[in-house]
Amino acid sequence: MGKTKKAEKKKSISYAKWGYIFIIPFFVVYVIFTLYPQMLTIYNSFFEYYRDGLNVIGPNFVGLGNYAKLFSPNTAGYIPIIRFTLNTGILWIIGAVPQFVVAMLLALFFTSTRLNIKGQQFFKTVIYMPNLIMASAFAMLFFALFSQVGPINQLLISTGAIDKAINFLAIKISVRSLIALMNFLMWFGNTTILLMAGIQGIDESLFESARLDGSSSTQVFFHITMPLLMPIFIYVFITSMIGGIQMFDVPQVLTNGKGTPDNTSMTLIMYLNQFLGISKNYGMAGAVSVLLFIITAILSTFVFRTIAGNKK
Amino acid sequence: MAEVLLKNIKKIYSNTESKNRGRGLFRKKKAGEEEKKINLQITDEGVVAVQQFSLDIKDNEFIVLVGPSGCGKSTTLRMVAGLEEITSGELYIDGKLVNDVEPKDRDIAMVFQSYALYPHMTVYDNMAYSLKIKKVPKDEIDRKVREAAEILDITQYLDRKPKALSGGQRQRVAIGRAIVRNPKVLLMDEPLSNLDAKLRNQMRSELIKLRQRINTTFIYVTHDQIEAMTLGDRIVVMKDGYIQQIGTPQQVFDHPANLFVSGFIGTPQMNYFDARLTLKNGRYFVDIDDLSIELGEEKQQRLKDNEVKEQDIILGVRPEHLVISDKGIKGRVDVSELMGSSCHLHMTVKGKDVITIVPTEGKSTDYAGKELLLSFDGNVAHVFSKETQKNLEY
Amino acid sequence: MKNNINTIAKLKLLISRLIVYTVLIFLSFLCLFFFYLMFINSSRSNAQLQAGFTMIPGGNALKNFINAWNDSSISIPVGMKNSFIVACLSAILTSYFSALTAYGTYVYNFRFKKLIHLFILAIMMIPSQVSAVGFIQLAFKYHLTNKLWMLIIPSIAAPSVYFYMRQYLEATLPLEMVEAARIDGSNEFKIFNQIVLPIMKPAIAVQMIFSFVGSWNNYFMPALLLNDAQKKTVPVMIATLRSADYSKFDMGKVYMLMVMAILPVMVIYMILSKSIIKGVTSGSVKG
Repeated sequence: MGKTKKAEKKKSISYAKWGYIFIIPFFVVYVIFTLYPQMLTIYNSFFEYYRDGLNVIGPNFVGLGNYAKLFSPNTAGYIPIIRFTLNTGILWIIGAVPQFVVAMLLALFFTSTRLNIKGQQFFKTVIYMPNLIMASAFAMLFFALFSQVGPINQLLISTGAIDKAINFLAIKISVRSLIALMNFLMWFGNTTILLMAGIQGIDESLFESARLDGSSSTQVFFHITMPLLMPIFIYVFITSMIGGIQMFDVPQVLTNGKGTPDNTSMTLIMYLNQFLGISKNYGMAGAVSVLLFIITAILSTFVFRTIAGNKK
Repeated sequence: MAEVLLKNIKKIYSNTESKNRGRGLFRKKKAGEEEKKINLQITDEGVVAVQQFSLDIKDNEFIVLVGPSGCGKSTTLRMVAGLEEITSGELYIDGKLVNDVEPKDRDIAMVFQSYALYPHMTVYDNMAYSLKIKKVPKDEIDRKVREAAEILDITQYLDRKPKALSGGQRQRVAIGRAIVRNPKVLLMDEPLSNLDAKLRNQMRSELIKLRQRINTTFIYVTHDQIEAMTLGDRIVVMKDGYIQQIGTPQQVFDHPANLFVSGFIGTPQMNYFDARLTLKNGRYFVDIDDLSIELGEEKQQRLKDNEVKEQDIILGVRPEHLVISDKGIKGRVDVSELMGSSCHLHMTVKGKDVITIVPTEGKSTDYAGKELLLSFDGNVAHVFSKETQKNLEY
Repeated sequence: MKNNINTIAKLKLLISRLIVYTVLIFLSFLCLFFFYLMFINSSRSNAQLQAGFTMIPGGNALKNFINAWNDSSISIPVGMKNSFIVACLSAILTSYFSALTAYGTYVYNFRFKKLIHLFILAIMMIPSQVSAVGFIQLAFKYHLTNKLWMLIIPSIAAPSVYFYMRQYLEATLPLEMVEAARIDGSNEFKIFNQIVLPIMKPAIAVQMIFSFVGSWNNYFMPALLLNDAQKKTVPVMIATLRSADYSKFDMGKVYMLMVMAILPVMVIYMILSKSIIKGVTSGSVKG
């Protein structure tokens, strides 16, 4: 009796096994190429493990030693990581503030029935375009254009605005501004489109009834549009922040990985990248990665909440 | 065509697999759909959707499973199809145990409520798909598809995609896809519920015609008792996972097995009164107020066979069987609705709502506010046990 | 009086429109200006470029192109070939397997279905750089640097593409369709390939485009993994331009190299801009 039952079970028409079969490739690849390396990264962060010339030092367990090195001021030639975190934050903010202000305005322009903007498809196509451009080539282009013998200096000299070529890449403010400008150009179109979709998702009759109640356009914006747009706005804002933390291609190529001048444009990932270069300092790189992971995890919970909250 | 035998079928949705089904037991309520209380048994293993389901379906029979939403009718159909596992019990098609046979090897076809036509294929390809998978030769596929299209009158749409068809046409394609394979059993899951009222009536009569043209066993699920009455050779009325009654439409209508069936089949709903069943000289009477009605011969016999004793009962009388009389149960007319050939009187009788249908016959029908006396014939009085709610005839 | 109000309102509208269009045109100019300069400069000779700024194209485009194509230190044809291989295969793998995974967790009922779905959503936000340290370590340990498939295979597990596909399935695929196919006699793989994939075509197209562009532009990981000139992808080559001694270069050629790096994506964008812009929003939180 028991035996026949077992035989029956084998032949069952349950489809559950197909669920597992279909998700196997994803998980096998995920475990091998992402999860295992991630674990290894965390593991490394507790070890002294780097290359010095042809010698490999370590791995020697150092506990939180690598983290201590990251935070302590100027021991063993390390610059405290707070500085790179601040750099990254500043670079992100000076790009993101105009990005969100401009995107919000454009989204309002495009969705305004009163203004009835013509050629929307054209404008959207143009402002989204930089988002798809290879960031490293974009940075290289800016480097060429803004170099001492580049066209921008030529233009400024020929118009008489300046008399001597400016070395944009040697000045803290100009390097940071250029990076912010590139990030702004690459992302404001994307943000505009997302916010627009958010505004269009709001029930049109809400605007109409607010207007019938006598609200001015500013009142409509602050009392209707903004509160209802909030979940999407927060989502876009935090994903932008997470993207900002990962900022790499543009400053890396623009400053040739040096974060000139004087490390003022060195971002967290550029710092991480340095450890992965010739020195192959897996210990320190691991510690930077773990910090990166913690920061992102905190921010991600917010995103996760907005997604979950939105679904209800 | 085939015999289908269901033996003590049971279905338990374990707690892990429940939910998330597209439709059936756990589907989301659509807007406007009435929130019905579902009293399914919940055990340690999960929710019991169907139990003690036994049914012997004959070759070429048209069986209709009917009941309110959540009664387990769709689940039963899906078990026959092989889309749901059978928790316990045995299912035979043509004498072969098929509990663990995959749907594709059961030789069945199914028409879904949403039609489930493949949107990227033409009507022709939709109908030919199952034959192509079976590797049927091309010319034979062509012949069969055209034959089915002919029957359903959709030949001119064969090159169209489902998107370009109306609801009624899609319905025909869905049926065509099913009959093209000459299945042993044709399963239909509320196939008409997405159509508007007029089209539904039309399709209903076409289904009757179709049934005469093709030889196959039908199992049809609906929540609409009119469809059940008009289409079925036999009806299976279900509630809360249990079969309530199996019988021909006539049997179910004339001799409902219990209070639920009596209320579910027939519109407007049957009226109920508190009454007493009495025995006088070996004859059964229903006593209510000053009325004492002798039951009809058939009912006398059935009650006698069951040795039913005198007792308090629930008396059921269908609205069309209540007549205005000079002696009987007293009631007040609240609203009178003129339907044309007849008039529906909504009354309050002994504090309960009662509906009476009276013929108009050219007379004034303004009964509103009037007090009337109601009576009925002994052949159409249904006697239900107050205790078990079962029809005492059974 | 009423007329007056009307004209004032009209004037106000006119002025605000004027401002809005000015802003839009300025921003569009800003977006196009630098790329315009790039195209102009790529058509000028080095001497012309040294001479001064201009907005007018020179006649040297073809010569610059030939020089760039045949450059000995940067082999752009090889780079483009490598980039195409990586980008195309990644695009195909990521969209197919993400759709497959999404289908798996959407259609089938199994014990850890919900947990798995939540897990994939949770890992969606982890920056790819976090796994980079371990990944590079393993690549060096097992001598897997300079292997293009190391950039291709990982795209099978793409949580954000999975999320998009899952949302698309929820919106477009009724479970009855799958059941109908089962009854029609199809097996589970055929159902996915013959019924579900065609239904998902729009979503797959969108994700293929974004994935192609993403890996075409990807710089961080290829730069760490590829140091053999025969294996480098375009972004890595462009970045080496920056580290080389700049003053020795023929700048016309440098601009042309940048044009070549950007052009494939530009062309795709010009053809498909409408659906790409639509795809931007459909992937975000809406459901």
